[in-house]
Parts: sequence; C-alpha cells; structure tokens
Amino acid sequence: MLVILGKSYADLNLSPEEVQARMGKWFAWTEKMKTQGVYQSGNALTDQIKRVTGPERTVTDRSSTELKELIGGYYLVKARDFDHAVEIAADYPDYDLNGTIEVREIMHYG
Amino acid sequence: MPQNQLVDHLFRHQYGRMVSILTRIFGLKHLETIEDAVQDTFINAIKAWQNGIPDNPEAWLTQAAKNRSLDLFRKLGAEQSRIPKLDSGPSSIALGELFLDNEIADSQLRMIFTACNPALNAQDQIAFSLKTISGFSQKEIAASLLLKEETVKKRLIRARKSIQQSGISFEIPSGKELPGRMNRVLEVLYLLFNEGFHSTQQAFLIREDLCGEAIRLCKMLLEKKYTTTHSAHALFALMCFNTARLKSKLNTQNEVVSLRHQDRSTWDMALIRLGHVHMEHAVETDRFSNYHYEAAIAAEHATATTYEETNWANILHWYELLDQVQPSPFNGLNRAVIYLQLKEFEKSRELLESIEPAQLEQRAYLYYGLWAEYYSKKGEKEKSITAINRALDLVSNEAERTYLIGRREKYASHI
Repeated sequence: MLVILGKSYADLNLSPEEVQARMGKWFAWTEKMKTQGVYQSGNALTDQIKRVTGPERTVTDRSSTELKELIGGYYLVKARDFDHAVEIAADYPDYDLNGTIEVREIMHYG
Repeated sequence: MPQNQLVDHLFRHQYGRMVSILTRIFGLKHLETIEDAVQDTFINAIKAWQNGIPDNPEAWLTQAAKNRSLDLFRKLGAEQSRIPKLDSGPSSIALGELFLDNEIADSQLRMIFTACNPALNAQDQIAFSLKTISGFSQKEIAASLLLKEETVKKRLIRARKSIQQSGISFEIPSGKELPGRMNRVLEVLYLLFNEGFHSTQQAFLIREDLCGEAIRLCKMLLEKKYTTTHSAHALFALMCFNTARLKSKLNTQNEVVSLRHQDRSTWDMALIRLGHVHMEHAVETDRFSNYHYEAAIAAEHATATTYEETNWANILHWYELLDQVQPSPFNGLNRAVIYLQLKEFEKSRELLESIEPAQLEQRAYLYYGLWAEYYSKKGEKEKSITAINRALDLVSNEAERTYLIGRREKYASHI
C-alpha cells in the first residue's frame, strides 16, 4: 500500500493553472501503474477528519489547516517486493510540495 | 483508457467564469468567499476524476459551481438577509438560467467592467483583473508583472477595499456612461497585453500567457453587440499582429532580437490574417482611435516580407496621424528612427530637436541613443560617443545596457 501524506491541496494556495498541471501528473502516474499491471485500486480522501480516541470514545474534529500533513489517499499496488513498491512510489508527483509516500506491505496470513 | 488531457488553461478560464457567475448571484461583497469556493471545486475535481475525466469537464465544473452556489446560499443566506431568495421575490433570478453560456459571458463582462472601474487605481486594475478574471495566483501575477509577491498582495487588498468602499455595482454601465468606461476597459487590456509583449526579461510562457489573456478578454468584448466598438476591433487587430511575431522577439539565449533580424518565417500567418479581418471591421467608421493607427503600423510590419521591403512611408504617415489623436514624444522619436533609416538626416535631426527628453521619463536613454546613431551616421564620432554615454548614464534595464555598450564599441571603432 502506498499511503499518500502531505498538506491538503486546499491549503496550498495553488492557482487553477497549477491544479490543472498537478492533475495531469497524477493521472499520468495512475495510468503508468495501470499499464504496468501493478495497479489494484486507489482512493482519494476528503479533508474532513474526525478522531475517535480513548475508552470514552472521545470524538474530536481535526481541520486540515492545523495539520502539517494528513493522509490524502492511498493506492494498492501489486509489487514483486518492497523495493519494487518503492520504485513505483518514485513517480508520485508531489515531492516538490513536500509530500511523502509511505510504503507499507499488507500482511498476509496463512 | 481514461483520457488524461484537458484543454490548455481550462481551469484558469473556468475559474473566471465561475467567479463571475457567483459574484453576480451573491454580490461583490462576498468575492473572497466566492474565490475560495471556486478554488475548492478544482481540488474536488482532481479527486473525483481519478478514474477518468468526464466527457464534458467544463459542464462538470459548471455543475460543481452551481452546487457550490447552493452551499453558499445556505452559508451566506443565514448571515445576510440581503441575499436574494432562490425561489421568490422580485429580485429572484432563476438560478439555472445564470449558468447558461450567454449569461456566463454577460457575468464575465460585468467582472471586466468592475475591474476597470475608475474607483480602482490603474495598477490595481491589472492585478485585480489577472486574479479575478484570469485566475492567476499572487505568485503568477508577481512573476508576470515582474513585481514582488508582497506588492501584488497589497494591490489586490487595495482593489478589494476600493470596491467595498465605493460600493461599485456589478454591472455593465449603460447609456452615456458606457463609451467612457469602454475606453478604460480597452486601455487596461492594452496595458495587460503590452506587459506581455514588451517585457524582455520574462520567460516566454509567461509573456505568451499575458498576451493570450488580453486577447481572450478583448474577444469577449467582441462577442457582445454593445461592447463591439470599432476601437475594440482595432485593439484586437493590434494584438493579433503583434502576437503573430511574439516568438521571434527573443533568441534561444533570451536576447532581444531587433525587428530587422527577426525570423519572419516563424510569424503566425493565421493570426496576421485574423488581424486583417478585424481591421476591416475597425475602419467602418470615420473616427479612428490610437488603436487604429497602432494596428495600422503593426500591420505594415506584419505584412512586409522582408525588413527592407517595409513600407516606411506609410508607417511615417500612420505615426503622424497617431500623434494627432494621441500626442506623445515617443511618436516623434519613432519617426526620427525611420527618417534615420531612410537616410533623411535633416528631418531626423529636426524631430529630435523638437523633443524634450525629460518628457520621455525613464526612457530618455532612447533619445540620447538615437542622437548617437544620428551622429555616427553623419560621421561625427566624438559627438556620437558623448551621446551614447549620456544614454548609458540613464538606462536601467540590463538587456538594453548591454545593447548600448555594443553600440558604443561600434561607434568607437569607426574611423
């Protein structure tokens, strides 16, 4: 799983032109993963965050503006091994916006 | 396979459309809220279009803006009783109708007239137009106008403040007020275009973007009957002729290429033809504006197949007429340049003597540079060096300075 971490686009003051350019890069990346047959699924997440914590099940609202980074989405990819997954993550388009990809392996039982 | 190509500048143009419609609905008072809301729709589009761009992205975005307007009604309507009711009352406008193409164009014209309202000062008008109509970010405005981002920010804040304080209505002026306001609109578009066309320091893409925006906005005026004036046609023609040779103005090292040395085979013939079409409409009157004459001059250059074949006599004539509708020492300076080319030294000297260099302000160096050229052609080496040194004392632009230093070396080597 590639977990996408970074500031919310809504808080980056991108111009419409920049948003469009970013979108082109995102689509190209997804397309590349599909052509290579590694893409399984993926989703983007909205900026609304509620945290449920503690034995009291305390619910708190977190806003994207107050967070340095939040999970913006994820991709499930089928990689040969860990290194291959890292290689796939190299095409993520937002490293220049201080974005991060966390590569995690899904645990298989049995 | 999902198509991942969108029309160039789709978001930028769509931004202007959506901000205009929503401003028409909610009023200029809520401009900032509206701009944020529109920005959100693009970010949502990225997420929503992950698995493929919709067949008609523009319609998708327009629908998103419509949905946003319903959200805004709830948000702003609760705070403000001024907001028109959606379903009743004399001020109510059928929401759907405002999103029809024709009404969108109308809203955008309202925004153009708002940006060019005399309550705003001239510098702020350009920054505000780029932000609100063209969807440029502060950073993009700063880069294209060669300003600090902080300066742009101040101008935008001041523009918004002027709009709030003077209670400008979001309308196109009518009756007697329209012609005067049209003049200002054309002037702002002309300035916007020139920022892109004349700057020698910016990356090509930025300059092309500015010229492109000026052309697009001018075209919008020409799509409505009441804003289609002969002057607007002339300005549009001028922009076409000049844009046609934009690419040849700088070489690969980003150095200025003079008209004489530009590669004419790169000029955009389709744009030149379009310029001529608009020129024909422009001259269907007996009252010519400065745009008419400037376009006529640009047309002479654009249609000359080589530099040598330029019809200088015509250009001189246009400059004389231009000086009658819009007197400027620069017209005299330009004519002096042409006389020098034509080796009519006496006429050139007479014109130069009639010009007061102080009136040329920061560009007074051009005046001394021209004297230097004059003396050099007359074989008066000492005087040409003295003149070029005066020019060098006054020039501030680096590219121009380099050019003048090159000239000085040439004069000095002349025997």
